[in-house]
Parts: sequence; C-alpha cells; structure tokens
Amino acid sequence: MYRKSLVAVWVGVLAVSLLFLGCPKKKPAPAPEVDVIEEVQEPVEVLVPVPPETFDEVSDPFSEDLETANVAAYEQGLLGDVYFEFDKYDLQPEARDRLAKNAEFLRAHPEFEMLIEGHCDERGTAEYNLALGDRRANAAKNYLTSLGLPAGSIQSVSFGEERAQCQEASEACWWRNRRAHFVIRGRSGG
Amino acid sequence: MIRASNTTALLYLVLSALWLGPTVAWSQQVPPTEDQLSDPEVNVVLEGRQRSRFRLAMPAVQREGAPGPQIREAADQLEQTLRTDLDQSGIFDVRGPAQLSVLNLTGNDERDFELYRSLRNELLLTSLVKQDQGRLILEGRVYDLASGKVVLGKRYRGDPSIARRIAHTFADEIILYFSGRQGLALTSIAFASDRSGFKELYLMDSDGANQRPITAHKSISMSPEWNPNGREIAYISYYSGTPNIYLVDLGSGRKTPVITTGSLNISPSFSPSGKQIAFARSIGDGNSEIFICNRDGSALQQLTHSSGIDTNPAWSPNGREIAFTSSRTGSPQIYIMDAEGTNLRRATFDGNYNDGAAWSPDGTRIVYASRRTGDFDIAVADVVTLESRLLTHGGGSNETPSFSPDGRRILFTLKRQSRSGTSTQIFVMDATGGNREQLTSKGNNSSPVWSGFKE
Repeated sequence: MYRKSLVAVWVGVLAVSLLFLGCPKKKPAPAPEVDVIEEVQEPVEVLVPVPPETFDEVSDPFSEDLETANVAAYEQGLLGDVYFEFDKYDLQPEARDRLAKNAEFLRAHPEFEMLIEGHCDERGTAEYNLALGDRRANAAKNYLTSLGLPAGSIQSVSFGEERAQCQEASEACWWRNRRAHFVIRGRSGG
Repeated sequence: MIRASNTTALLYLVLSALWLGPTVAWSQQVPPTEDQLSDPEVNVVLEGRQRSRFRLAMPAVQREGAPGPQIREAADQLEQTLRTDLDQSGIFDVRGPAQLSVLNLTGNDERDFELYRSLRNELLLTSLVKQDQGRLILEGRVYDLASGKVVLGKRYRGDPSIARRIAHTFADEIILYFSGRQGLALTSIAFASDRSGFKELYLMDSDGANQRPITAHKSISMSPEWNPNGREIAYISYYSGTPNIYLVDLGSGRKTPVITTGSLNISPSFSPSGKQIAFARSIGDGNSEIFICNRDGSALQQLTHSSGIDTNPAWSPNGREIAFTSSRTGSPQIYIMDAEGTNLRRATFDGNYNDGAAWSPDGTRIVYASRRTGDFDIAVADVVTLESRLLTHGGGSNETPSFSPDGRRILFTLKRQSRSGTSTQIFVMDATGGNREQLTSKGNNSSPVWSGFKE
C-alpha cells in the first residue's frame, strides 16, 4: 500500500514537471537577443542586387586561383589536349599545331608552372601503359621546350590508363584517352 | 547374393547417370587437347590432373552434441572451406553429400566402405566438429577404402573465429600427404582494387575469402609484388604525385619508400633472395629503362639501354635472369636477359603485343598477356624452346597472369564489357587453362599476385 502511494506521488511529480517543461514551447518567452536590437529610426532601404551588365573589361581569370585559370585556359582554347595514335607516342601534325598554340599561351604567361599528364586508352596492359603515358607526356614537353619554353617550368607525370576520361569501349572513346593533358600547377615565385 | 548383385547393378546405373554430368562438364572446361598432346611437357601436367585425381568421398561434417550458434556457423564455414580447398587442389575428385545420398549407409564401417567403393571412391574423409569450452574441435580422418585403414588422422582445436584457418590447415595436410607437395590453402593473394573509390592494395585468402585492404593512401596504389619472405610487399603509389616504389610491412602495416626520385618508378619485382628489387624507371625524356637496386633503394644500377620503352621486369626464380617488356623492335614484346643486363634475347614472337611476364616457380615457363587478334589472352611459353600457346580464348581482355607457388594454378584478370560499363575481375585457373573461377566482384580488381607458401 505504502509503496503504491509512493509510486502515485512520483507519477504526479513527473507529470507536473513535464507540463512545466512543455510550457515554454507553446508560449515562447521573449528571447534575450531581441532586447539587444536597437530601434531604427528610419526604415533601411535594402538594395536588391541587379545582375551586373556585361562589362567590356573582365577580371583576368589567369590571375585568379589555379582552378579558375585551368578551366578558363581550356574553355578559351588557349590550352588543349594533344592526342596520339594507339600504342604510339610520336607527334602527329595536328598534335604539333595544338602544341604550338599551347606554347603561345605559355609564353604569354611565363609565371605558370605546368604539369603535363600522359594518358592511355584501356586497350594496352596497365603496366605498359604507365611507361607509354610517360613517353607521351615527355613528347609534348620536349616539343614545347624545342619551341623555346623553359624545361624547368614543365613537369610530367604518367597516369597510364588509370585516369581515363571516357569509359566506353569504342574508338570514339579511346582516342580521347590517348592524350597529353595540360595542367597549370602553380605560379613561379608563389 | 542375387539381390546384392542386383543392387550393385542398379547402383552402377544410378552412378553412371550421375557421373556423366560432371564428366561432360569437365571436358568442356578443358580446352581442346589436341595441341596440348603435341606438347609433351604440358601433357605430363595434364596426366597428373586428369588421370590420377583421387576419388574422395566427403560426406557432411558431423556435429557432435548441440553446439551453439557460433560453433554451428563456424562448423559450416569449416566444412565449406575444407570442401573448396580439396576441390581446388586439383588432386581430388571430391564427391559430396548430394552425390553420396544414393548410398544407404548402415553405420557398420566395413559395409559402408563397400558402399563407398561401389561408387568407385578410393578415399573417404570423415570429419567431426565438436565444442569444448567455447573452442572448436575438428577431428578428421582419411580412410583408404581399399584397405579400410585410416591413413591420415588429425585433431585440431581453436577459436571458432579461425574455423577457416583450421580447415585450410587440415586441407593442406591432406594435400601434402597425397601429393607430396604443399597445399595452397594457407597462402594469400595480393591485388589492387578501386572498390573504395581509390585504387588501394588488398589481400585475400587463396580461395578469394577474407578480402581486406592493406593501404589507405587515397591516391592510386597498384602493382603489388611479394617479397619472397612473405612479410612485405613492394608496390607503386601516386601518393607523392608521381608513381614511386614503396614497401608495406604486412606485420606492422608500416610503409617505407624505396625509390622516390624522378618522374616514373614502376613495376617492382623482388629478387628471389628478397634483397634486391628490379623495376622500370624513366630517365631523360620519359625513356623508361630496367633498373635494379637494393631493397632500401641503395645501389641503383641501370640494366637496359635502349631508346624504346623497357618496362615490367620479372626476376626469375633462380635469380639469374630477368624477363621484361620492350618496344625496341616496335611493338611491345617480352625479352629475357641475365640479371647483369647481358645476354639479351627476345622471348615472344607470336602476337603483336606481349606484356606482363611472370615465371613459373620451376623457372621453365613464363605466362604473359598476349594480343594476337583483338583482345589479350593469357599465353604460356617454354623459356628454352620459346614455344607458346594460349590458355584463355577471348571472352574479354585477359591480362596480368601470375603462378601459384606450386605452379599448378594461374591468377589473371579479365576485363569485360557490360551495360554498366567495363568491369575487371580476378580469376584463377589451372596452369593448363581449365577449371576457371572468379575470386573478386566488388569494384574493379587488378594485378593479382600469389604469396609463397606459408612456413
């Protein structure tokens, strides 16, 4: 009996405290932060930003961060990939043309430190492709230096078939993977 | 008497019906034998495989008492592992409960042995699993059915969590007894997988179970190669930006750099002593040559000097030679030179693209990926006669083969197209080309290499 009544008392206490706990949610007391806000005499006019008109002078993407510079260089066609034939690393005439354009851009931006990535399609073996990709990257690099660019500002790396751009098994896809890809990796002196 | 012989006749009928199935399936798996017969060396291997497989009856593993769920699960795991190991050993023709269910076993050994013999079984493997204070006990016996005697009896005890290991140990014991050679059950396979989103190195047991990562570089890590001591693996990783060679200690997980200078250091291969590493390294303008160095990267020495691509060296088991791939004559072909870089000779002539040589443990053969028409197939060549033949026949691109330490199995990868894209998986097959099994399925898996035997 005694025990039962004790339980009843506890249940009562719990119920009451729950009520109290529940209360503030229904009727929120004024939050202290609100007091801090000062009265504003005149309503502040909020200017809705309008999209800027196209200006003639754009900020130079090549002085922006590297990612922006890389995207802009490729989008504007100032840098472009150089493509190779299957299992080959010699430069075809189109590849030389492309490299000449790339060289032009790099001459205009001597501050850029470049990385040339060599890539292969998936048809060769993975191990051999690592070596082949290195040849491709270096074929591109050597051509650039033959055009007068300083070798010291150009590094190369082979990814073999590890970073294929296109995953389908067709020549339409393979040729896009047999490439030397250009990455602005830094700026000299910074 | 009459009844008995009738039963026997009936049994044979049932038996031949049962038997036809597996026999047909088996002969389909083995590639045409005509050209194999013309190759005397391969023929010997084939004879071993086809004619002297012991017919082993393996009824279900008995469970003693009422084991708890943990032990029950361990017992199931143990039974499955034991069965797979014996089946894959290439020595036994394992008949399981399904094939043995036609027998009305009596419980009387002598009578039952006769029944097993009636199905032309030569051996009987009985096993009993019981529980002892939370530990698992396996009691196994192999009977010679002709004499009715136990030829091999073993009792193992261990934690239920290592049930597979117990089974592997017993399987290897049985294989050693009947073949005189060590079994593969306790060996491991290292490979690379992109299942985590990055290409990392993994290990698995020889049957494909227990796949676990051993690197977490979150870069590109690949081309594992075992130190013959079995305690470390050399591999390449793009961890620092360009591919360089590292070692991972399998005991501690510690990684140490071997060669990290230059733009390209790839395809490591240990010397049999484990003291040196052969690899390919770019010099000058991206011209990769074969180098060797000590295990710690010291004593770097250039072995090849050609303007073509030289890559993917494989040190021969006796340490005297190194096979590698070179494009010096145009297309990639495999060459063999002495380990000092002298006495160079070309080893492959069939096919327009051959790469990835791996030696058989006895040093008489190399396996490699060979492209003769469209995709790559696995080829094997005798290193003296240079005669080669294909072990796979299309179905995708078959690449990066390597031998098991007993020389009877070959690991390789198969790259296939499907609606969801390209998938590369690891397979294992007999050294003669048959009996193919897939070991991986998660992500893409590549460059499998088998460890040596475990001490």
